[in-house]
Amino acid sequence: MIYFTELQHLPMYGVKGEFLGHLEDVCVDPSQNPTRVAAYLVRTPKKLLQCITYEQIQSLSVRAGQTTVPRDGVRCYAPDEAMIHIKKDVLDQQIIDVDNRKAVRVNDVDFDIEPSDGHTELRVVAVNVGLAAAVRRLLQGTMAKHRIRMLTDLLPNAPILWEFVNLIEPDPARRLKLRISYDRLAKLHPADLADILEELSHNEQKAVIESLDHETAAQALSEIPTKMQADLLESIAPEKAADIVEEMPPDEAADVLNQLPPETSAELLADMDKDDAREVRGLLGFEENTAGAIMTTECVFVHETATVEGAIEALKSYEGPIEAVNHIYLIGKDATLSGAVPVARIVLSPASTPLRELSAETPISVQAQEDARSVVDLFHKYNLLSLPVVDEDNHLLGVVTADDVLELVINRK
Amino acid sequence: MNRKNFRRFWARVLIFVAVLGPGIITANVDNDAGGIYTYSAAGAKYGFSLLWTLIPITVALIIVQEMVGRMGVVTGKGLADLIREEYGFRTTFILMVLLIITDLGNTVSEFAGLASGMSVFHMSRYVAVPLGAILVWLLVVKGSYRYVEKVFLAACVIYIAYPVSCFLARPDWTGALVSTVKPSFHLTSGYLYMLIGLVGTTIAPWMQFYLQSAVVEKGVKLKDYLYSRLDVVVGCIITDVVAFFIIVACAGTIYISGNREIRDAADAALALGPLAGHAASALFAVGLCNASLFSACILPLATAYYVCEGLGLESGINKRFNEAPAFYWLYTSLIFLGMLAVVALKESQQVPIILLSQVANGILLPFVVIFMLQLTNRKDIMGEYRNSRFFNVIAWITCIVMVALTLLLLVSSFFPDKLPAA
Repeated sequence: MIYFTELQHLPMYGVKGEFLGHLEDVCVDPSQNPTRVAAYLVRTPKKLLQCITYEQIQSLSVRAGQTTVPRDGVRCYAPDEAMIHIKKDVLDQQIIDVDNRKAVRVNDVDFDIEPSDGHTELRVVAVNVGLAAAVRRLLQGTMAKHRIRMLTDLLPNAPILWEFVNLIEPDPARRLKLRISYDRLAKLHPADLADILEELSHNEQKAVIESLDHETAAQALSEIPTKMQADLLESIAPEKAADIVEEMPPDEAADVLNQLPPETSAELLADMDKDDAREVRGLLGFEENTAGAIMTTECVFVHETATVEGAIEALKSYEGPIEAVNHIYLIGKDATLSGAVPVARIVLSPASTPLRELSAETPISVQAQEDARSVVDLFHKYNLLSLPVVDEDNHLLGVVTADDVLELVINRK
Repeated sequence: MNRKNFRRFWARVLIFVAVLGPGIITANVDNDAGGIYTYSAAGAKYGFSLLWTLIPITVALIIVQEMVGRMGVVTGKGLADLIREEYGFRTTFILMVLLIITDLGNTVSEFAGLASGMSVFHMSRYVAVPLGAILVWLLVVKGSYRYVEKVFLAACVIYIAYPVSCFLARPDWTGALVSTVKPSFHLTSGYLYMLIGLVGTTIAPWMQFYLQSAVVEKGVKLKDYLYSRLDVVVGCIITDVVAFFIIVACAGTIYISGNREIRDAADAALALGPLAGHAASALFAVGLCNASLFSACILPLATAYYVCEGLGLESGINKRFNEAPAFYWLYTSLIFLGMLAVVALKESQQVPIILLSQVANGILLPFVVIFMLQLTNRKDIMGEYRNSRFFNVIAWITCIVMVALTLLLLVSSFFPDKLPAA
């Protein structure tokens, strides 16, 4: 194990033992090998920056580096965007620790020294964010390296394995060259992803959102503050933004579109799938902080004459998020709300039971223009999980679910 | 104005109100206990003769604050973050230690201000200061700070008492205005000390860190940058307009009276006499306490924020104590030590702390300003929003003068008798 703080300024020698210069940075070429150090950048006494490739390294230690090239055989370094420069791109930068699900700042980088036929290779093992690494940075160059090791070995270490490190690169072209993928991020829980996003600067947020698939991006976006959602959507390409909004729950989509300038939200609506856009438009008409503005239009409803079997069919063909469904609504003539049946009851009843028998006499509902406070009160009073929203003529418009109410209560505090 | 133009005008006003805040809040925190006392003393002791410094100070303040505001909008990162990314861990660490020391000194002076304000109401500092500290700590940790911030900001309207008192005192306005534009200079230690004190109390390193973070947190977008710049400029001007009226009010009352030393709140309150009569002391004390508490809320909190940001530690009042221990410990210790210094030490014993804080300030400011100038000239960071050459020239001159004055302050604090006596 050797640390970047120990490698930095390491004297490098040529094949005949002649002094070449001090090591300034090391680079990984992700297109060749994701962990191997492919190039060593050396600053010569004449302040030139030269590049030594990994095959030319004979041995490396905390004291010196021995190469197999003569002094006049080293070529000058031509900046290469497709390499990860450990000092420039990793050290002191913010990265995403996928394993612990947070954004952190890198204090040091850990390498393994491995002999490989005829030469010595360095492999990136982990980045380090802990106290030990911080103290190493502070003491670097002020005392002997082995002393520093003795001291910092006593301190807590916090390595993040290289494979769990996600670099954040705002430039899309370079992202591609560096083969930075956000596959691992897409596997995180959207709420964790949202927490990470909130820690990043605007450009970095943009970089992450742009490289996620639409569905993951939509889920993560739904969990961050609405104003931040709006800022992000406004800054990414309109088609991409429209695709993301399409995947968001309609009530969240309406909230964020309300935050955007009218021209932008009109543009996004125009780019969206027609059905999704229609649903969201319907929600946009409601005043802020009313039941209508909070509700989502995604809900399961069947005709009041349907049986348990029909309800199960309706559930099967339902396209929204099934976890959020806890009632099936009955509608009568002109789509007026006439009943609500808990899903659990449907599961426990024979297939031929008419749903009307399972429904409460008069389902509790709320009118779309009622304010948010009365929605919260209803949830509290009747211990609800979801509440249907109707217009003045009792037409079913949508549903307010418990998670929306929780958000209302928490934001009010 | 036809209807369409009128609508557009309103749209602009609304955007301005939305991005408004960081600059104006910074300005008002800047007029803290130390500020009020320094301005009062300047007016009381030297009449109008320091007024001319306000214009260059305002220009310098605007130049420095505009740069950080711009950096915040363009990069979306705090100043501590940027310094860490571009100058490495050690540099950041040293800057942060200096920042903690200067801000500790500032916190001490806020609590001293609170003690001095409350003494007018015959409340002992042994009661007032711990109560104030607990209040500040709870406000922030319990998360009700956001609402209280607006109360503090609204209470800053109390500064209007100074202009009103000014007009009632009928000072020599022509003299005041002439002194504002016509530089005069006295090479005496007292005058120099006061001049440097004015600069030091108006332009402090925490303001750059605070403003940039506040702009970032506000999420100001590039296209709204002009409004944000306006907010910064208006804020800087407010700071110095308040300073102007405090100086003129003190010059028109205390300086003229011949008894020109300000020893406590009651002395400084005399400047409000023409407006408030016997209630002047109470009015001054309320203003002083508000300013002290406002700054005591913001300074330690902001310090804890950027120190943790720069060093890559967890921070934020929305996190729990065990999630962000460094953040909470730093915040709590700053308030506790600040309080302790005022309660436990005699005024003469507080001097070393203030002195140490000035030293840290003197070392910190040049670095911060030079880093800022370098960063705002980097194409890879600022893109097309880099400093223009003209701007750079003015900024460098400003910075050199500022740094020279700060170093002079340092020298004069250690060798007060080397300068010609008053």
